[in-house]
Amino acid sequence: MMSKLGVFDLSVRYGKLTAVNDISFSVAEGERVFISGPNGAGKSSLLAAIAGEVRAAHGRIEMDGDILSGRVPEAIARRGLSMVPEGRRIFRALTVQENLMVGVGLRRDKTAVPDDLEAIYAAFPILGTRRHANAGALSGGQQQMLAIGRALMTNPKLMLVDEPSLGLAPRVVDEVYDRLCSLQAQRGLTLVIVEQSSARAGRVGGRMLLLRGGRIVADGDATAFAADDLLKEAYFGEATP
Amino acid sequence: MTEHQARKLASLTTPLLLIALLAVFVLLVGAFGDRSLGRMAAETLIRVTLVVGFWIFVGNSGVVSFGHAAFACVGAYVSAWVTLKPEMKTLLLTGLPDWLAQAEWHVLPAAVAAGAVAAVLALVTGAAILRLSGIAASIATFAFLAMVNTIWANWTPVTGGTSSVVGLARYVSPWVGLGWAAAAIVVAAVYATSASGLALRATREDEVAASASGIDRYRHRLAAYTVSAFFCGVGGALMGHFIGVINPDGFYLSLTFLMLAMLVMGGIGSLSGAVVGVLVVSIAVEGLVRLEKGVTLGATEIALPAGSQEILIGLAMILVLIFRPAGLLAGRDLSLPAAWVAGRAKTTK
Repeated sequence: MMSKLGVFDLSVRYGKLTAVNDISFSVAEGERVFISGPNGAGKSSLLAAIAGEVRAAHGRIEMDGDILSGRVPEAIARRGLSMVPEGRRIFRALTVQENLMVGVGLRRDKTAVPDDLEAIYAAFPILGTRRHANAGALSGGQQQMLAIGRALMTNPKLMLVDEPSLGLAPRVVDEVYDRLCSLQAQRGLTLVIVEQSSARAGRVGGRMLLLRGGRIVADGDATAFAADDLLKEAYFGEATP
Repeated sequence: MTEHQARKLASLTTPLLLIALLAVFVLLVGAFGDRSLGRMAAETLIRVTLVVGFWIFVGNSGVVSFGHAAFACVGAYVSAWVTLKPEMKTLLLTGLPDWLAQAEWHVLPAAVAAGAVAAVLALVTGAAILRLSGIAASIATFAFLAMVNTIWANWTPVTGGTSSVVGLARYVSPWVGLGWAAAAIVVAAVYATSASGLALRATREDEVAASASGIDRYRHRLAAYTVSAFFCGVGGALMGHFIGVINPDGFYLSLTFLMLAMLVMGGIGSLSGAVVGVLVVSIAVEGLVRLEKGVTLGATEIALPAGSQEILIGLAMILVLIFRPAGLLAGRDLSLPAAWVAGRAKTTK
């Protein structure tokens, strides 16, 4: 089966600093992949390179066999890859509904937009009740749901989510992941999620890529990893015997 | 009617309310004002056309432009070129091509041509300038303003250089001004709610998130810049036909700062802010000018010292920036309440 996303020998450098060092992996259609690891492991750089926000120093990125690397972010978004950026980055002075409608400009199937909008409001009822409020007035958790809704409105085939739990209370994080997982099940989405907390990833479940120093140090089932010593090794260095 | 529909309908009332506000202003001045107040009303409405045009780009993109006075300059000269008497042009503007020297257009197509030429100039120069981001784009628009001014001041055979071009037909009454101001307001409201306007406002809020949503920032900026320049070109033509005399320095730094000051005062974040800013500043300036000339209260005559008008306007601007940094309207738009609109729709059914 052809993979949804293919990353081949990808490196990202900022000046002399290598953030992502020769990484290769592939993601199958409908899969949920967590990218975990300590601070500075290269998680967000990897995601930014896939979305086209930073230019790869080396390597190739493909989606459905179509080459993404070297394209600008808006061109990549048009090919069906949607990004929920770190820190949510919602359009604060626009209303909730305007935020959701921003991304539909790139869709060809404009007739499906009203139904999709209602589907987002059904999945996140709070967004529906506050659809005319300024997005800046929402709480952190609501803003995260809005950022997810905004990404979904572009009707993506592949969705990247950068640190959805950042700055949110644990109970709210549970809710965000619940919604994200049920939306994935409904739509057959492929999800790649950066999640600093490997314990959290283990509880949600899926495949996990463990990054350290810009390399993949482990690739396997997130739930199995959560209990494993491998994690300690990745976060704190060599495990003591 | 759902709440959503009612809100949509209510937002449609914004341009109508603004136009009604301006119409009431013109009527009041016409009914109670003297001749000089009538001229002030016409000038105010020309400024509304200019500043609303200016807002179409600045308000939606969040990029401050210092170049829009140049579009007014080009518009004013284009209208002069096509409407001045041919004998006048062969005397003053010897370098004009024959077809232009012989042209004797009606003032309305001349105003449209003024806007169109300004729009084309914006499309061509914006294609380079708008690829820059943030402050670099603003500085480039300033360089553009300086270039246009220098060219206009030195291209003597075509522009008359620094000596003024005189003899423009003075046809701009408050009602002419109101017509163009209304056109600018309607176009601005339609643009802001269009898909391109929404995309541009999203880039204003967050560039990274906008590009991740598939928005090509450059394309929407260029569209807004072009539409915006059209109304500044028309506004420039109206200014020329209001005073009857044009000079490149009439469309340079002082006009740039006046436009910016009005927009900032009213609030850059909404169309209503642009309109209200022009009204407030124009009325305040007129009031202070009259106070400088002196008013008689009973037996005593009070007069402000000459020049205090500029100082007081400056002070007022500082106070607004301190107490309402987002402008008088702070990004809000005037509109009828959604509940009222919904109620009306029900009773008419």
